[in-house]
Amino acid sequence: MVQQMAQVGKLLIGVWMAGVAAAMFLIVPQYEGLGNAGRIIIMHVPTAWVSVLAFALSAIFSGLYLWRRKPAYDDYALAAAEGGFLFTALATITGMIFSEVVWGVFWNWDPRQTSIFVLLLIYAALFALRSAIDDPQRRRQLSAVYALFAFVTVPFLVFVAPRMAESTLHPNCVFIQGSHCDGITLAEGRIGLLGDHKLHLLELERQGDVVTAHVLVGEPGLARETLLRPSFNLATGTMMDRPEFPGVRYQLGLERVDLASNSALLNIEAPGTGVLANRTTLYTFLASTTGFTALFIWMLHVRATLLGIAWTLAQREGVRL
Amino acid sequence: MIPNAALEAGVAIYVALAVALSVWLAIFIYLWRIDALARRLKQSLEQQQQQEDHERPAVPKARVTRVQAAEEETVER
Repeated sequence: MVQQMAQVGKLLIGVWMAGVAAAMFLIVPQYEGLGNAGRIIIMHVPTAWVSVLAFALSAIFSGLYLWRRKPAYDDYALAAAEGGFLFTALATITGMIFSEVVWGVFWNWDPRQTSIFVLLLIYAALFALRSAIDDPQRRRQLSAVYALFAFVTVPFLVFVAPRMAESTLHPNCVFIQGSHCDGITLAEGRIGLLGDHKLHLLELERQGDVVTAHVLVGEPGLARETLLRPSFNLATGTMMDRPEFPGVRYQLGLERVDLASNSALLNIEAPGTGVLANRTTLYTFLASTTGFTALFIWMLHVRATLLGIAWTLAQREGVRL
Repeated sequence: MIPNAALEAGVAIYVALAVALSVWLAIFIYLWRIDALARRLKQSLEQQQQQEDHERPAVPKARVTRVQAAEEETVER
Protein backbone atom coordinates (compact mmCIF):
# COMPACT_ATOMS: atom_id res chain seq x y z
CA MET A 1 0.00 0.00 0.00
CA VAL A 2 2.76 2.43 1.01
CA GLN A 3 4.73 1.44 -2.07
CA GLN A 4 1.73 2.07 -4.32
CA MET A 5 1.23 5.48 -2.74
CA ALA A 6 4.91 6.25 -3.32
CA GLN A 7 4.59 5.26 -6.98
CA VAL A 8 1.55 7.50 -7.39
CA GLY A 9 3.48 10.31 -5.69
CA LYS A 10 6.39 9.92 -8.12
CA LEU A 11 4.04 10.00 -11.11
CA LEU A 12 2.44 13.11 -9.62
CA ILE A 13 5.87 14.78 -9.44
CA GLY A 14 6.31 14.06 -13.17
CA VAL A 15 2.95 15.55 -14.11
CA TRP A 16 3.31 18.44 -11.65
CA MET A 17 6.71 19.55 -12.97
CA ALA A 18 5.53 19.24 -16.57
CA GLY A 19 2.61 21.48 -15.60
CA VAL A 20 4.99 23.98 -13.99
CA ALA A 21 7.10 24.07 -17.16
CA ALA A 22 3.99 24.62 -19.30
CA ALA A 23 2.73 27.35 -16.95
CA MET A 24 6.15 29.01 -16.92
CA PHE A 25 6.14 29.40 -20.70
CA LEU A 26 2.45 29.80 -21.49
CA ILE A 27 0.59 31.24 -18.48
CA VAL A 28 3.06 33.44 -16.56
CA PRO A 29 2.91 36.96 -18.05
CA GLN A 30 5.99 38.64 -19.45
CA TYR A 31 7.63 40.97 -17.02
CA GLU A 32 8.17 44.58 -18.01
CA GLY A 33 11.79 45.20 -18.92
CA LEU A 34 12.72 41.53 -19.11
CA GLY A 35 10.38 40.04 -21.69
CA ASN A 36 10.41 36.26 -21.82
CA ALA A 37 13.73 36.07 -19.96
CA GLY A 38 11.92 37.00 -16.73
CA ARG A 39 10.26 33.56 -16.73
CA ILE A 40 13.53 32.05 -15.53
CA ILE A 41 12.70 33.24 -12.00
CA ILE A 42 10.24 30.30 -11.82
CA MET A 43 13.24 27.92 -12.03
CA HIS A 44 16.04 30.02 -10.54
CA VAL A 45 14.75 30.80 -7.06
CA PRO A 46 13.21 27.36 -6.27
CA THR A 47 16.48 25.62 -7.20
CA ALA A 48 18.34 27.96 -4.84
CA TRP A 49 15.78 27.21 -2.10
CA VAL A 50 16.13 23.44 -2.62
CA SER A 51 19.93 23.71 -2.36
CA VAL A 52 19.58 25.35 1.08
CA LEU A 53 17.15 22.60 2.14
CA ALA A 54 19.55 19.94 0.84
CA PHE A 55 22.53 21.33 2.73
CA ALA A 56 20.40 21.56 5.89
CA LEU A 57 19.38 17.89 5.49
CA SER A 58 23.01 16.95 4.88
CA ALA A 59 23.95 18.59 8.18
CA ILE A 60 21.06 16.89 10.02
CA PHE A 61 21.98 13.42 8.70
CA SER A 62 25.65 14.10 9.49
CA GLY A 63 24.69 14.94 13.05
CA LEU A 64 22.58 11.77 13.24
CA TYR A 65 25.52 9.73 11.94
CA LEU A 66 27.85 11.13 14.59
CA TRP A 67 25.24 10.33 17.22
CA ARG A 68 24.06 6.87 16.13
CA ARG A 69 26.96 5.72 13.86
CA LYS A 70 24.58 4.12 11.35
CA PRO A 71 26.07 4.03 7.82
CA ALA A 72 22.61 4.74 6.34
CA TYR A 73 22.72 8.24 7.86
CA ASP A 74 26.04 8.85 6.16
CA ASP A 75 24.51 7.71 2.84
CA TYR A 76 21.68 10.20 3.26
CA ALA A 77 24.09 12.98 4.30
CA LEU A 78 26.22 12.41 1.21
CA ALA A 79 23.18 12.12 -1.09
CA ALA A 80 21.78 15.39 0.31
CA ALA A 81 25.12 17.18 -0.14
CA GLU A 82 25.33 15.93 -3.74
CA GLY A 83 21.75 17.05 -4.39
CA GLY A 84 22.51 20.44 -2.83
CA PHE A 85 25.57 20.82 -5.03
CA LEU A 86 23.55 19.94 -8.13
CA PHE A 87 20.76 22.38 -7.31
CA THR A 88 23.26 25.13 -6.41
CA ALA A 89 24.90 24.61 -9.80
CA LEU A 90 21.45 24.84 -11.45
CA ALA A 91 20.69 28.06 -9.54
CA THR A 92 24.05 29.45 -10.63
CA ILE A 93 23.49 28.57 -14.29
CA THR A 94 19.94 29.97 -14.40
CA GLY A 95 21.23 33.06 -12.54
CA MET A 96 23.98 33.47 -15.12
CA ILE A 97 21.42 33.41 -17.93
CA PHE A 98 19.38 36.04 -16.06
CA SER A 99 22.56 38.06 -15.52
CA GLU A 100 23.36 37.97 -19.23
CA VAL A 101 19.94 39.33 -20.07
CA VAL A 102 19.92 42.02 -17.37
CA TRP A 103 23.55 43.05 -16.96
CA GLY A 104 24.85 42.03 -20.38
CA VAL A 105 27.42 39.59 -18.95
CA PHE A 106 27.14 36.04 -17.67
CA TRP A 107 29.41 36.69 -14.70
CA ASN A 108 30.37 40.00 -13.06
CA TRP A 109 31.40 38.91 -9.52
CA ASP A 110 28.30 40.45 -8.03
CA PRO A 111 28.21 39.66 -4.25
CA ARG A 112 25.43 37.13 -4.85
CA GLN A 113 27.40 35.39 -7.59
CA THR A 114 30.58 35.41 -5.51
CA SER A 115 28.88 33.96 -2.43
CA ILE A 116 27.23 31.11 -4.38
CA PHE A 117 30.59 30.35 -6.02
CA VAL A 118 32.22 30.11 -2.57
CA LEU A 119 29.39 27.80 -1.47
CA LEU A 120 30.04 25.54 -4.45
CA LEU A 121 33.74 25.42 -3.55
CA ILE A 122 32.98 24.55 0.10
CA TYR A 123 30.85 21.55 -0.90
CA ALA A 124 33.25 20.52 -3.67
CA ALA A 125 35.87 20.32 -0.90
CA LEU A 126 33.58 17.90 0.99
CA PHE A 127 33.59 15.51 -1.97
CA ALA A 128 37.36 15.91 -2.32
CA LEU A 129 37.74 15.11 1.38
CA ARG A 130 35.63 11.97 1.07
CA SER A 131 37.59 10.70 -1.89
CA ALA A 132 40.89 11.34 -0.11
CA ILE A 133 40.25 9.03 2.88
CA ASP A 134 40.39 5.26 2.40
CA ASP A 135 39.17 4.08 5.79
CA PRO A 136 35.33 4.15 5.56
CA GLN A 137 34.82 4.76 9.28
CA ARG A 138 37.20 7.68 9.35
CA ARG A 139 35.83 9.04 6.07
CA ARG A 140 32.29 9.04 7.45
CA GLN A 141 33.29 10.68 10.70
CA LEU A 142 35.37 13.43 9.14
CA SER A 143 32.91 14.21 6.38
CA ALA A 144 30.05 14.36 8.92
CA VAL A 145 31.99 16.89 10.98
CA TYR A 146 32.92 18.83 7.82
CA ALA A 147 29.28 18.85 6.61
CA LEU A 148 28.17 20.30 9.94
CA PHE A 149 30.75 23.08 9.71
CA ALA A 150 30.00 23.64 6.02
CA PHE A 151 26.33 24.19 6.80
CA VAL A 152 27.21 26.96 9.25
CA THR A 153 28.38 29.00 6.23
CA VAL A 154 25.16 28.42 4.22
CA PRO A 155 22.85 30.98 5.90
CA PHE A 156 25.67 33.51 5.85
CA LEU A 157 26.58 32.97 2.19
CA VAL A 158 23.01 32.68 0.91
CA PHE A 159 21.09 35.15 3.04
CA VAL A 160 23.46 37.49 4.88
CA ALA A 161 26.53 38.25 2.72
CA PRO A 162 24.66 39.38 -0.42
CA ARG A 163 22.46 41.67 1.67
CA MET A 164 25.39 43.16 3.53
CA ALA A 165 27.07 44.23 0.31
CA GLU A 166 26.52 47.84 -0.57
CA SER A 167 26.73 47.42 -4.31
CA THR A 168 24.75 44.44 -5.48
CA LEU A 169 22.55 44.57 -8.54
CA HIS A 170 20.78 41.34 -7.62
CA PRO A 171 17.07 42.10 -7.47
CA ASN A 172 16.56 41.32 -3.79
CA CYS A 173 13.40 43.42 -3.79
CA VAL A 174 11.63 40.56 -5.53
CA PHE A 175 11.18 39.13 -2.04
CA ILE A 176 12.47 41.58 0.52
CA GLN A 177 12.19 45.30 0.59
CA GLY A 178 15.80 45.37 1.69
CA SER A 179 18.36 48.09 1.90
CA HIS A 180 19.34 47.72 -1.74
CA CYS A 181 15.94 48.91 -2.81
CA ASP A 182 15.54 51.74 -0.36
CA GLY A 183 17.01 54.24 -2.79
CA ILE A 184 18.74 57.46 -1.87
CA THR A 185 17.39 60.88 -0.97
CA LEU A 186 19.34 63.75 -2.50
CA ALA A 187 18.89 67.49 -2.25
CA GLU A 188 19.57 69.63 -5.33
CA GLY A 189 23.28 69.80 -6.11
CA ARG A 190 24.13 66.83 -3.85
CA ILE A 191 26.02 63.69 -4.80
CA GLY A 192 25.29 60.15 -3.57
CA LEU A 193 25.92 56.48 -4.32
CA LEU A 194 23.18 54.14 -5.51
CA GLY A 195 24.42 50.62 -6.09
CA ASP A 196 27.57 50.96 -8.16
CA HIS A 197 26.51 54.30 -9.60
CA LYS A 198 27.36 57.81 -8.53
CA LEU A 199 24.33 60.10 -8.73
CA HIS A 200 24.52 63.87 -8.89
CA LEU A 201 21.14 65.60 -8.62
CA LEU A 202 21.61 68.73 -10.73
CA GLU A 203 18.11 70.17 -10.45
CA LEU A 204 14.42 69.47 -10.02
CA GLU A 205 12.34 71.01 -12.80
CA ARG A 206 8.60 71.46 -12.26
CA GLN A 207 6.10 71.76 -15.14
CA GLY A 208 2.54 71.67 -13.83
CA ASP A 209 2.12 68.50 -11.82
CA VAL A 210 5.19 66.85 -13.33
CA VAL A 211 8.58 67.12 -11.69
CA THR A 212 11.63 66.07 -13.68
CA ALA A 213 14.94 65.37 -11.98
CA HIS A 214 18.14 66.05 -13.90
CA VAL A 215 20.55 63.45 -12.63
CA LEU A 216 24.13 62.99 -13.74
CA VAL A 217 24.87 59.27 -13.45
CA GLY A 218 28.47 58.09 -13.21
CA GLU A 219 29.36 54.50 -14.07
CA PRO A 220 31.45 52.38 -11.69
CA GLY A 221 35.02 53.69 -12.06
CA LEU A 222 33.59 57.02 -13.30
CA ALA A 223 34.67 56.23 -16.84
CA ARG A 224 31.55 57.87 -18.24
CA GLU A 225 28.76 60.14 -17.03
CA THR A 226 25.28 60.27 -18.49
CA LEU A 227 22.43 62.68 -17.87
CA LEU A 228 19.17 60.89 -17.02
CA ARG A 229 15.79 62.54 -16.50
CA PRO A 230 13.37 60.50 -14.39
CA SER A 231 10.04 62.18 -13.65
CA PHE A 232 7.29 62.10 -11.05
CA ASN A 233 3.61 63.07 -11.13
CA LEU A 234 2.69 65.11 -8.05
CA ALA A 235 -1.06 64.81 -8.65
CA THR A 236 -1.15 61.00 -8.78
CA GLY A 237 1.97 60.42 -6.65
CA THR A 238 3.37 57.99 -9.19
CA MET A 239 6.60 57.65 -11.15
CA MET A 240 6.52 58.59 -14.81
CA ASP A 241 9.64 58.35 -17.00
CA ARG A 242 12.14 55.79 -15.79
CA PRO A 243 15.26 55.97 -17.99
CA GLU A 244 17.67 53.02 -18.09
CA PHE A 245 21.14 53.21 -16.60
CA PRO A 246 23.74 53.19 -19.38
CA GLY A 247 24.71 49.67 -20.44
CA VAL A 248 22.36 47.76 -18.11
CA ARG A 249 18.64 46.97 -17.96
CA TYR A 250 18.11 48.83 -14.68
CA GLN A 251 16.04 51.94 -14.55
CA LEU A 252 16.38 55.09 -12.50
CA GLY A 253 13.10 55.95 -10.80
CA LEU A 254 12.05 59.17 -9.09
CA GLU A 255 10.00 57.77 -6.23
CA ARG A 256 9.25 60.85 -4.15
CA VAL A 257 9.73 64.59 -4.38
CA ASP A 258 9.84 67.10 -1.53
CA LEU A 259 9.58 70.57 -3.04
CA ALA A 260 9.90 72.28 0.34
CA SER A 261 13.44 70.99 0.82
CA ASN A 262 14.12 70.60 -2.92
CA SER A 263 15.02 66.97 -2.45
CA ALA A 264 14.08 63.75 -4.24
CA LEU A 265 14.13 60.03 -3.52
CA LEU A 266 15.89 58.25 -6.36
CA ASN A 267 15.93 54.48 -6.66
CA ILE A 268 17.02 51.61 -8.87
CA GLU A 269 14.13 49.88 -10.52
CA ALA A 270 15.54 46.41 -11.09
CA PRO A 271 13.90 44.17 -13.68
CA GLY A 272 12.43 41.40 -11.60
CA THR A 273 11.53 43.75 -8.78
CA GLY A 274 7.98 43.01 -7.71
CA VAL A 275 7.68 40.19 -10.23
CA LEU A 276 5.79 38.08 -7.67
CA ALA A 277 3.18 40.77 -7.17
CA ASN A 278 1.38 39.10 -10.07
CA ARG A 279 -0.87 36.31 -8.70
CA THR A 280 -0.31 33.92 -11.62
CA THR A 281 3.46 34.30 -11.33
CA LEU A 282 3.30 33.83 -7.56
CA TYR A 283 1.23 30.61 -7.75
CA THR A 284 3.42 29.18 -10.52
CA PHE A 285 6.46 30.07 -8.44
CA LEU A 286 5.03 28.31 -5.37
CA ALA A 287 4.09 25.28 -7.47
CA SER A 288 7.63 25.17 -8.84
CA THR A 289 9.11 25.37 -5.32
CA THR A 290 6.86 22.51 -4.14
CA GLY A 291 7.67 20.41 -7.21
CA PHE A 292 11.42 20.91 -6.92
CA THR A 293 11.32 20.07 -3.20
CA ALA A 294 9.41 16.82 -3.88
CA LEU A 295 11.76 15.99 -6.75
CA PHE A 296 14.78 16.53 -4.51
CA ILE A 297 13.36 14.24 -1.80
CA TRP A 298 12.80 11.52 -4.40
CA MET A 299 16.33 11.97 -5.78
CA LEU A 300 17.74 11.92 -2.25
CA HIS A 301 16.03 8.61 -1.49
CA VAL A 302 17.16 6.99 -4.75
CA ARG A 303 20.76 8.12 -4.36
CA ALA A 304 20.94 7.06 -0.68
CA THR A 305 19.49 3.64 -1.60
CA LEU A 306 22.12 3.23 -4.33
CA LEU A 307 24.90 4.19 -1.91
CA GLY A 308 23.57 1.64 0.60
CA ILE A 309 23.50 -1.09 -2.08
CA ALA A 310 27.03 -0.23 -3.18
CA TRP A 311 28.22 -0.51 0.41
CA THR A 312 26.48 -3.88 0.97
CA LEU A 313 27.90 -5.31 -2.27
CA ALA A 314 31.38 -4.00 -1.50
CA GLN A 315 31.28 -5.66 1.92
CA ARG A 316 30.21 -8.98 0.39
CA GLU A 317 32.86 -8.93 -2.27
CA GLY A 318 35.50 -7.59 0.08
CA VAL A 319 35.99 -4.50 -2.07
CA ARG A 320 37.00 -1.24 -0.45
CA LEU A 321 34.75 1.71 -1.30
CA MET B 1 20.33 34.23 -45.05
CA ILE B 2 17.55 31.70 -44.50
CA PRO B 3 15.31 32.79 -41.59
CA ASN B 4 15.02 30.22 -38.83
CA ALA B 5 11.29 29.57 -38.36
CA ALA B 6 11.85 28.04 -34.90
CA LEU B 7 13.28 31.32 -33.58
CA GLU B 8 10.45 33.57 -34.75
CA ALA B 9 8.86 35.52 -31.90
CA GLY B 10 5.54 33.67 -31.87
CA VAL B 11 7.04 30.20 -32.29
CA ALA B 12 10.19 30.45 -30.13
CA ILE B 13 8.30 30.16 -26.85
CA TYR B 14 6.65 26.90 -27.95
CA VAL B 15 10.02 25.57 -29.13
CA ALA B 16 11.52 26.47 -25.73
CA LEU B 17 8.60 24.74 -23.97
CA ALA B 18 9.01 21.63 -26.13
CA VAL B 19 12.73 21.50 -25.32
CA ALA B 20 12.08 21.99 -21.58
CA LEU B 21 9.40 19.26 -21.56
CA SER B 22 11.65 16.86 -23.50
CA VAL B 23 14.51 17.40 -21.06
CA TRP B 24 12.16 16.91 -18.10
CA LEU B 25 10.68 13.74 -19.65
CA ALA B 26 14.17 12.31 -20.16
CA ILE B 27 15.17 13.11 -16.56
CA PHE B 28 11.91 11.67 -15.23
CA ILE B 29 12.23 8.40 -17.17
CA TYR B 30 15.86 8.04 -16.08
CA LEU B 31 14.96 8.66 -12.43
CA TRP B 32 11.95 6.32 -12.59
CA ARG B 33 14.03 3.49 -14.08
CA ILE B 34 16.96 3.91 -11.72
CA ASP B 35 14.52 4.03 -8.79
CA ALA B 36 12.84 0.80 -9.88
CA LEU B 37 16.21 -0.91 -10.42
CA ALA B 38 17.52 0.23 -7.04
CA ARG B 39 14.37 -1.01 -5.31
CA ARG B 40 14.57 -4.41 -7.01
CA LEU B 41 18.26 -4.74 -6.23
CA LYS B 42 17.71 -3.82 -2.59
CA GLN B 43 14.88 -6.34 -2.28
CA SER B 44 16.92 -9.15 -3.82
CA LEU B 45 19.88 -8.33 -1.55
CA GLU B 46 17.61 -8.43 1.48
CA GLN B 47 16.11 -11.74 0.33
CA GLN B 48 19.56 -13.22 -0.21
CA GLN B 49 20.58 -12.06 3.23
CA GLN B 50 17.51 -13.66 4.80
CA GLN B 51 18.12 -16.89 2.90
CA GLU B 52 21.74 -17.00 4.02
CA ASP B 53 20.73 -16.35 7.62
CA HIS B 54 18.15 -19.13 7.38
CA GLU B 55 20.52 -21.67 5.79
CA ARG B 56 23.42 -20.95 8.09
CA PRO B 57 23.64 -23.64 10.83
CA ALA B 58 23.33 -22.47 14.40
CA VAL B 59 27.03 -22.81 15.04
CA PRO B 60 27.39 -21.81 18.68
CA LYS B 61 24.59 -24.12 19.89
CA ALA B 62 25.97 -27.14 18.03
CA ARG B 63 29.43 -26.47 19.32
CA VAL B 64 28.18 -26.27 22.90
CA THR B 65 26.26 -29.55 22.50
CA ARG B 66 29.28 -31.29 21.00
CA VAL B 67 31.60 -29.96 23.65
CA GLN B 68 29.18 -31.06 26.35
CA ALA B 69 28.85 -34.52 24.78
CA ALA B 70 32.59 -34.85 24.51
CA GLU B 71 33.01 -33.93 28.14
CA GLU B 72 30.42 -36.46 29.25
CA GLU B 73 32.04 -39.19 27.19
CA THR B 74 34.30 -41.46 29.19
CA VAL B 75 37.54 -41.91 27.48
CA GLU B 76 39.63 -44.95 28.17
CA ARG B 77 43.31 -44.39 27.93
